[in-house]
Amino acid sequence: MSQWWPLYGLKKKLTERKEYTSSVKLRLNTTGVFKRSLFVYIIDVGSSNALNFEISALEAPQYNIHRFGIFLTDSPRHADVLLILGHPVKKMIDPLRETILQLPKPFYTITIDDNPHQPDSVDYPELPNHIAALTGVPSPSQILGLLLDIAKTKRKES
Amino acid sequence: MKVLIGVIATNKSEQLFILDNGQPVLVQANGDNLEEKFGNYPILKQHPLKINDEPMKGPGVFRFRYGPVTAGVREAGCFHLYTYGEKILRATIDISWKQREIAKAMQDKSPETALMMAERVCSNFAISHSVAFGRAVEMALDAVPSLPTKNWRTLLIESERIYNHLYVIYKLASAAAQKVLAAHVSALFEEALRLNENLTGSRYLMGINNIGRLNRMPTVTDIQKIAHGYRELAKKFTELYKHSLKNYNYLDRLHSAGTLTPAQADKLGLTGPSLRACGVMDDLNDATEHLISLPVITQKEGDALARMEVRAEEIVNSCRYLVDHLRASDSWNEAGKNDTEFAKTGGTGYVVVNSPSGALGYYVEVKESKMQRVEIFTPSYPGMHAVSHALEGLIFTDFPFVFESFGVHFADAAS
Amino acid sequence: MKFLFIAAILLFVSGAVLSSKTRLSYLFSFLGSVSAFLTGCFALTQTQVLWSFPLLQHVELSLYIDHLSAIFIIIAAISWMALALYSIDYSKLYPKKRLPLGFNLSLLGMLLILTAHDGITLLMGWEIMTIFAFLMMQGTGKSFEHSYRFLAFGELSTISLLIGFAALYSTVGSLSFDALHNGSFFVLVLLSLGFIIKMDIVPFHGWMRGIYGEIPDNTAALLSAPVTLMGVYGLERIIPLLPNNQLWDIIIILLGAFSAFWGGLQAAAVDKIRLLPAYSTIENNGIILTAIGFYALAEGSGIQGLHYLATFAMAASIILVISHTFSKTLLFMSIGHAKEAYNVHTIDQARGVWSGVGRIPAIGIVISALSFSAFPPLIGYAGEWMILETLFQSYRFPSVALAFSSALAGILIALAIGLISFAMIKLIGYTALGYDHGRKSRPIPNRLMHIAEISLESLIVLGGIGLPLIIMFIGFPQLLTGLLAIPAPLVLASGIPAFGVISPTFIGIIMIVLLIIPVLLFMKNKKKVRKVESWNGGIKLEDAEFFTAPAYSQILEHILRGFYRTREKKSKTRSSISVEDILIWPSEAITRMVRKTGERLSWILMNGKISAYVAYILVLFITVFIIGMLVR
Repeated sequence: MSQWWPLYGLKKKLTERKEYTSSVKLRLNTTGVFKRSLFVYIIDVGSSNALNFEISALEAPQYNIHRFGIFLTDSPRHADVLLILGHPVKKMIDPLRETILQLPKPFYTITIDDNPHQPDSVDYPELPNHIAALTGVPSPSQILGLLLDIAKTKRKES
Repeated sequence: MKVLIGVIATNKSEQLFILDNGQPVLVQANGDNLEEKFGNYPILKQHPLKINDEPMKGPGVFRFRYGPVTAGVREAGCFHLYTYGEKILRATIDISWKQREIAKAMQDKSPETALMMAERVCSNFAISHSVAFGRAVEMALDAVPSLPTKNWRTLLIESERIYNHLYVIYKLASAAAQKVLAAHVSALFEEALRLNENLTGSRYLMGINNIGRLNRMPTVTDIQKIAHGYRELAKKFTELYKHSLKNYNYLDRLHSAGTLTPAQADKLGLTGPSLRACGVMDDLNDATEHLISLPVITQKEGDALARMEVRAEEIVNSCRYLVDHLRASDSWNEAGKNDTEFAKTGGTGYVVVNSPSGALGYYVEVKESKMQRVEIFTPSYPGMHAVSHALEGLIFTDFPFVFESFGVHFADAAS
Repeated sequence: MKFLFIAAILLFVSGAVLSSKTRLSYLFSFLGSVSAFLTGCFALTQTQVLWSFPLLQHVELSLYIDHLSAIFIIIAAISWMALALYSIDYSKLYPKKRLPLGFNLSLLGMLLILTAHDGITLLMGWEIMTIFAFLMMQGTGKSFEHSYRFLAFGELSTISLLIGFAALYSTVGSLSFDALHNGSFFVLVLLSLGFIIKMDIVPFHGWMRGIYGEIPDNTAALLSAPVTLMGVYGLERIIPLLPNNQLWDIIIILLGAFSAFWGGLQAAAVDKIRLLPAYSTIENNGIILTAIGFYALAEGSGIQGLHYLATFAMAASIILVISHTFSKTLLFMSIGHAKEAYNVHTIDQARGVWSGVGRIPAIGIVISALSFSAFPPLIGYAGEWMILETLFQSYRFPSVALAFSSALAGILIALAIGLISFAMIKLIGYTALGYDHGRKSRPIPNRLMHIAEISLESLIVLGGIGLPLIIMFIGFPQLLTGLLAIPAPLVLASGIPAFGVISPTFIGIIMIVLLIIPVLLFMKNKKKVRKVESWNGGIKLEDAEFFTAPAYSQILEHILRGFYRTREKKSKTRSSISVEDILIWPSEAITRMVRKTGERLSWILMNGKISAYVAYILVLFITVFIIGMLVR
């Protein structure tokens, strides 16, 4: 019976922690609007791909982000938070601006700059509601902690 | 067999960077029938950033643009798919959206700084880039790294191979809507990244390699735990993989999706597991001096299923290699002997490394201990050409299978 | 009423005479149509003989107007009025004399058909209508062969009617419609065949493909709506003959249903959008044919319980006729309006009518397309739902063969409605409400076009919501009832004992109520609205990246490639898909054979040699001589 996909691995318990903390200081005040769910849209403006892989790792069962109500969306029009990955490349500035225009209010933007000293680079454009700016390649736990901070949710039960 | 890795233009002539029976060789281009000898010569010479850019016309034909900001393929890259409804007539891939010109920026930097930049070309191939660059500089400066350095580098390359192949299988399973399989494979993927962190302190194996040496050696006490971790990974993966192959729905979606013949793969200059899936027995493994030589896995069909099968077997082989040699590592892991003296301050070096997606080549010229010129030849560039050719004639629903099965990345292709 | 009728005829004739002044000519045709309309209105309550003229012994020419004629005259006259108004504005752009001449006389022919009471008058009107419609096509067509094909099919229908009436005379001794119920099976087959050919039922639709792209818009509308209406009228006239022949009834039910299915199938895959309404005509007429056939079948089976069902089927056919005539006229007018305003050759290039041309033609396209797709509460929904409910009650037939064939017809018609919705979405989504690609329209005279469009749009909507009124007007008040909370007579019951009900009135009321409340709520909490570009992956959509109309139907063309014989032509830089309508092969083959034979014969006979010509004359002379001698 364990050969049947719906029952496969049912006995394994992969989800790990119940709480995630983050040391990132939030630049803006948060609202309680996103307490029950937070929808995140990811945009890559020129990262070195490690951040993309970290987001894929964040979708792994060990973190189980869906239990916190955190979902990754397919369109910026459904998003509450725009997660900007990477140090921007000049060509991606206009698409980034266009994406920000599509976000419905209220929304936040987060930047993760994996290569602050990239040569011949441009800076981020003026970002509205820029709530957090990280540098380097944070681990999925740190990203999850940050998202939970923004959503103002620290679930005690799983 | 001879594979053309890259074309290096000098102000007088051209040099061809060839991988000949597993050894990198630089040959002067003598101008006659280069296209017959090497099918991918025109592609590498012109190096277009808009791949397969020939528009298709006809009544009702339009250009469906996927990108540069998408949720499916998260990276910044654009697909222009010409179609008259359901079928992809031509796929033009625009990789210029992620072009950071890192090779050019490495000029006049010290080798150590440039190595850190090399790691950031495509961070999921960080150790491959780092090792290739490091060995190229060592070749240019006539430096010989110590035995532990060499051995650790081979082990780390296999670590990188494991998590990259797991990522490809995770993406294929998600595309086929096999949610349970995808979840379990992604759990293994996260495990692999954690083992990387245990091994080197960085989940992507960044910041551990250096020119002629490693920045730090992994400590002996953790080695047994890490070896055990890889053994468990191999066991869980084998069980999961065997189970997934029983699902005909999953196999059916991958079977015959994006088939490439060996002749087509040769014309595009494809290397790596995607080439081996077409049935070509390459000698890329010889580019790295492994402690014991790893078996070359091939399949015959050349479709997405074959590419996945090659990768699945390579995961298990790499895990086994790691387990065996991690356990035996204390025999060659001596403390100290870290500082290597460089005999020269300038020179030319060229190296090919067996990265998870194929042959990764670096050509460097060093002058007075500063980088004079760096040329990077990544496996994703011919890989993108292969994706473009494999997509022709397919329907849209097969798009994610073909793209994910090649394991190519825009960051790597654009560099 | 006689006065109005004569006025109509005179107005049409004057319009034809004055055809050099095109606007005046069309104005006369409008007035003639109004006069005809009023005639019909007055005739609703009284039957009248308008004129009779004894030609030979037992043969009398007569013009007669009764309830059935009146209904059809009213329906046709509304379409004529709208087309005449449209043509007044249209004539400014196409001042060719042949068009108004043909238009007026074609309308005259149709009026004659609708008031004829014997075979000869009917055939006179039939021929006048066909020939002058052909003349209208000659006005702007490029290739003669295609319009000759229309004439060929028209004459085929005339021949069929001619032989049918001749057979009637030989068996019954009279050509009057009063004697029709005595006709034999042979008469029935020939007469109904003649009318079916005029209705463009498959496989007699082969002439459309070549000509429809080129003819002027009012001609196309005329050929689709009023001309095929004549075929339906003819069938309704020979209704007394139909119930006695079960085999023929089953044949026409299945033929109609298959024709509907085929029309829907081809409409979904047309490459020239002008052919889409043409195939929709085939589809609608197929459904009407099935409705009439079902009435005959139910009535002829003699079972008491089926009498209600038969009445319902007859009502369905008339509602379908109303909905088809109005919607088709409106569709062609709106499409033509858009084409002229954009000044393009094909409707494929005229996209985004709402933003590029104007609201009213766009609403015209939308409403007529929705009516064809059976969207409540429009009148098209009423007609198509009525026929579906009728056919699904086929279990009431005791005989398995009858039940099975009716059920099969129901399946085919349901498929047809689905396919035609698919096709109509192309018109709504691309032509009417789509992106206009920056095209600008030129100013054209459109005040009368707008009046015609608005009146037809209102008729389609009000006709749906006011369905009980129309049912009463056409004389079937017994079908109306009340149900639960809905008061009589707002509900149309499709069977007794109860099977299903149709009430577009009620749906209309609910829709309006459900529309008003949200609008009021919305006005109360006025939220700030922000307009942004559509999301297309971060950069603006270029012209070459817009989804094309052929791409929309390509998926269907691929799945049903057996029906369409879909072929792909691919080269390194060009690729295209071609589909075929395989049911036009017979007529194409016959045309080719005729042409070849004719060429062959003329090559043999007229080869330039005097001796051959003399021999030909001699042979003919001798043959005539011999025949004359034999006859004596």
